Parts: sequence; structure tokens; C-alpha cells
Amino acid sequence: MIGGERLSDGEGQQLILVADDDKDLVLALSIRLRAAGYGVIAAHDGDEAYEMASANKPDLIILDVRMPAGGGFSSIDRMKHSLNTRNIPVIFLTAFDDEEMREQGRKLGAVGFFRKPFDDSEFMEAIAGVLAKA
Amino acid sequence: MRAYRIAYLGNDGEVAMGLESALKDDGLQFLSAAGDYQGMEKAVSFKADVVLWDKDNLPPEAPFPLEQIRKSGLANQSIVAVVRNDDLEGAVKSLAGGASDFIYKPLKEDPLPRVIAALNTGQKQRRVDWCNRVIEDTNDQVKGILATLTDPAYIVSPEYQILWMNRAAEEIFGEGQRGGACHHIFYDRTEPCEVCAKNKGAARWRATLKNGKSYRFISAVIRNSKGEVEKLAVGTDITPDQEVSKIHKTFIANVSHDLRTPLAAIDQYVNILLDGLGGELNEDQANYVDVIRRSSFRLHNLIENLIDANKILSGDYKLKMEVVSIQDILDVVLGRLESQAADKGIMMQVQVADGLPAVYADKSRIAQVVANLAGNSLKFTEQGMMQIRAGFMPRDEGRVIVSVEDTGIGVPKEDLGKIFDLFYRVEKDKVYVEEGAGLGLSISREIIRAHGGTLWAESMEGMGSAFHFSIPAYKGQAPLR
Repeated sequence: MIGGERLSDGEGQQLILVADDDKDLVLALSIRLRAAGYGVIAAHDGDEAYEMASANKPDLIILDVRMPAGGGFSSIDRMKHSLNTRNIPVIFLTAFDDEEMREQGRKLGAVGFFRKPFDDSEFMEAIAGVLAKA
Repeated sequence: MRAYRIAYLGNDGEVAMGLESALKDDGLQFLSAAGDYQGMEKAVSFKADVVLWDKDNLPPEAPFPLEQIRKSGLANQSIVAVVRNDDLEGAVKSLAGGASDFIYKPLKEDPLPRVIAALNTGQKQRRVDWCNRVIEDTNDQVKGILATLTDPAYIVSPEYQILWMNRAAEEIFGEGQRGGACHHIFYDRTEPCEVCAKNKGAARWRATLKNGKSYRFISAVIRNSKGEVEKLAVGTDITPDQEVSKIHKTFIANVSHDLRTPLAAIDQYVNILLDGLGGELNEDQANYVDVIRRSSFRLHNLIENLIDANKILSGDYKLKMEVVSIQDILDVVLGRLESQAADKGIMMQVQVADGLPAVYADKSRIAQVVANLAGNSLKFTEQGMMQIRAGFMPRDEGRVIVSVEDTGIGVPKEDLGKIFDLFYRVEKDKVYVEEGAGLGLSISREIIRAHGGTLWAESMEGMGSAFHFSIPAYKGQAPLR
């Protein structure tokens, strides 16, 4: 349905990769992000997230921590070791609330860490902030 | 009842006859025997309660033979000297030598009152001896039981001197520590610990010992056979099992994750609908979706509170300690509380005493306690006021006390002891009056306890409640937790 396909085809749009195994949440996020004018592509496991990032070079990646086929941490690790994807900013979005996990995300190069359920406006502001710097 | 037995040890026939007729008339049993060892043995087998010892049994200059009489087996009996009525010196010497009384011979007055007095003295001594023996036996038994414990137990004097330790305590603190100061040997402190300095009687406290394990101690006052007060303390190992803790932690992390995940999706779709991203809603539809939003918000709060309660009550959290003023702590929550009070039309007053010292505390956790207490007050107050006061603890300037008082429904007397229990909720006419999981006060008490403080409540039903907590003031060094 959403996996692998580009959900927006507008020109000059900034592209966001949403990687989460909760397909309902991915759809909700893509509706919200598209409404804000971003292009959205989606992945539902760790391997797919890495492949989509390599193939599409999005401007930002929103990454879940716990996913099948390598979770978010192993995906970001691979991305940061690949020339193709190393400069793409990553924001973690997870239902875990663990200081160590947050620290691990930071060490692996993430620029943000949001906990589900999250505040919409704070989340959208963070995305805009990261994309403005890019 | 057994008749009391009186033995006369002496060779004065006239005295023997006089005593016999006087005492037998009064229902006492009487024995007359020679004033020597054989006589003493007879008195022992007669089971005499009082021994009348004739001073003429020995030469006038001989000392009163108390030791010999005691050794013969008459260990506890009152010994009354029988002296000639012109021998005042003999009477005095007998008393000095250990006789409990004396009577003159030849007998002029009824010997019964003196004998009864001697009986009393003897019984009193026997009772004291018996009590001491029971105390000693009990202490020995207690020590015997404590010696086999795998947890530490020890006895200290009121001067904080270690009198006895069991094997488990010796394994932690080393052998041969008897006589040392407990606070020094147990905790490397130069001064007695607060808990002992404050509690002369029984006390409870928690401590991490030199083996790195955590213990909950209970102490009780005991009395040794000399009547001296000693303090017995017994510890219970409350160190969480690492493996169980790890499983518990993982379980809670996974459960929280799985509870939050669907909430995130609910939130997102509710907001999509409310923002019109799924098409315009009519007024009714918007109201229905808003009900979902509010319910989801409540569910979210409940889940977060449960997770937080679990962390705190299982000790799986770290305090972020800093030196902070009470005013700074209150500032974290006052804004929110003021608007809650205003919404309900309740007057709110805040007073912080001048010159109040800072505390060494986790600012957000103490603020959480204030928010809990004040939130409860507002919840159960329909009119009147709520007051938050911070000041010096009366009679203890080393502590700061914070009180939250209201004019609300109060807590029934029979429930005052239960309100800190987990899942306690106020019930009125068997109907829960307000929402809430009954976690707030348990969490608050645990947080205050972790700060080395105390949380307690006073209340009069229908008049209002007062909740107080005290925590140590900052004195330039981190307090013993």
C-alpha cells in the first residue's frame, strides 16, 4: 500500500522517510506530513528502511526503534557507515522511555528522540527545524 | 496454699519453745535445729522460708556467718539474727553482716510481725532473682536465635558501644569489633547516626552496609539482668535480586512500549480528524471525536502514572539530587495548582518562612509530591481554601517541613492509617467520588522516604486534612540515605 512507493510526487518537495512497523501510525504520519507539504516514503522494517534510504536519499528519516529485520539502531548504524546516507538526519520515534536508549540514539548520530504518544506540534516543529538546517 | 516455714538454728531451748508456740499458733510451720552445718542442712530439707540464726552459736567476736549459711543451700532466704537483749552491738554487727533483721531473746514481744517482714524481704529478693534469671535466660535464648540468622543482628549500649554481634554481622564488619562505636564501625561516621540520636526507643531505618547490600533494620530496647538498657537491632536483606530485577525491568519496558504504541495511533487519527485532514466534521462528530481525545489522554496519564509508580515502588529510579530552595521546588508546580484552584473557586495560599535553608533533593520529584498532595486537597475540597506552607520543623532546625492543608471533606479516622496504602481510594457512600488509581500517596511517601524524610497526615472528617512532609535541610554535605 504505502511501502516503497512515493506518497507525494510534487516537485521541489523535501522528502521524509518514515520507518515504523505500525502501518496505521505510518499512514497517520504520512497524512500529517503530506498536509504540511512534505513528500513521504515509508518502510516497515530495519532492512527496508536502509534500502529505502540508500535508494531515495530522503532529506530526513523518522525511525522506529523496535522493528523486524534489524531495528532502528542497526539501521542507523548502517546508514551512518554508508557514504550515500551518512549525512541524512535521523529522528527516533519510539514507545520506549529509556534514558540509556536515548543516549544510544544520540551516540549513533540521531538528531532527535520522540516518545510515543507524542505532541503533534512539537514533533512538526522539530521536523521543520531539522530540515531548515539541512 | 503452702504454710510458710520458719527454722530456728540455735541451742537455746527456751527461745525454741517460745518461737514454736508463738508461730504455730499463727499457722506457720516451725523447725528447731542445732546452730551448725547439720542444722543448716536440716533447714534446707525443711525448705525454710526464713532462718532465725542464734548469735550465740558462734563466739561473740565472730562475724555473722552469712556466707556459710548461703553456701549450705539457704541461698535466698531471709536470715534473722537472734541476739541477747543486752547485745545491741551484736544486733548491729548482724545487720551489717547480712541479716535482714534481728529479734531479742528472751522473747518478750510476739515474733510474728518481724518474721512476716522477713518473709516479705525474702520473697522480694527471690522475685528479683527470678526476674533476673528470666531476663538472662531470655537474652541468651534471643542471642541463640539471632546467632543462627543469615542477616545481621547486634546489640549496642546507650553509649553506642557494640556489645554483641551475630555471625552474619561479623562477616560484614569483621570480628573483634565488640566495644567499638557502632556508627564508626558500621558506617564510618564520627557522630552517632540521626536515627539513633533521635530515637531512644524502637526505630526503623534502611542502610547500605559495607558488603554493598541494602538492609531494612528494626531495633528494640531490651534490658539486661542488671537493669541496664540496651538496643537490639536486626536487619533484613532487601537488596533486589539482580536477575529478577532485570526480568522485571524488561517486562515493564515491553508492557509500557506496547501500551503506548496504540495510543500514539489513536492520538494521531484523532488529531487528523479534529484538524479536518479527513474532511470537515459536523458539530456532533467533532464532539464525539473530542470524547475519544479526552479518554485517550486520561488513559495515557494513567499508564504513565502506573509506570512511574512501578519504578518508584520497586526502587528502580534514580534521584537527581541538587541543592535547591523550597521556593524553587514550589515554583515548578504552583502555576498549575493556582489555575486548578481558580477553576474550582478555591482560595490558595502559599507561605515560605523567611531564611529557610535549602534542601538537597530531586527538585522534580519533591515537586511531584507537592503536586500530589495539593492535587488531592483540591480534589476533595468543594469550598474554602488550600494552604501550602514551608517552614522549620518545630524543635528540629535541621529539617524543613512542608504542609498542605485544606478545608475539604477530610479523611475518616479509621481510614487515616490506610491512606498511604497502595490503591487506597476515598470511598463515600460506597461510591468512588473521584477518578484516580490510588497511587499518589504511596508514591509520595516513597519519594520522601528516599530523601531521608517523613510524610504524615492529620485530618478531621468534614473539617479538612493536613499533609506534612519533612526533609533534611542542606548542611553542606550529602545526608546519609
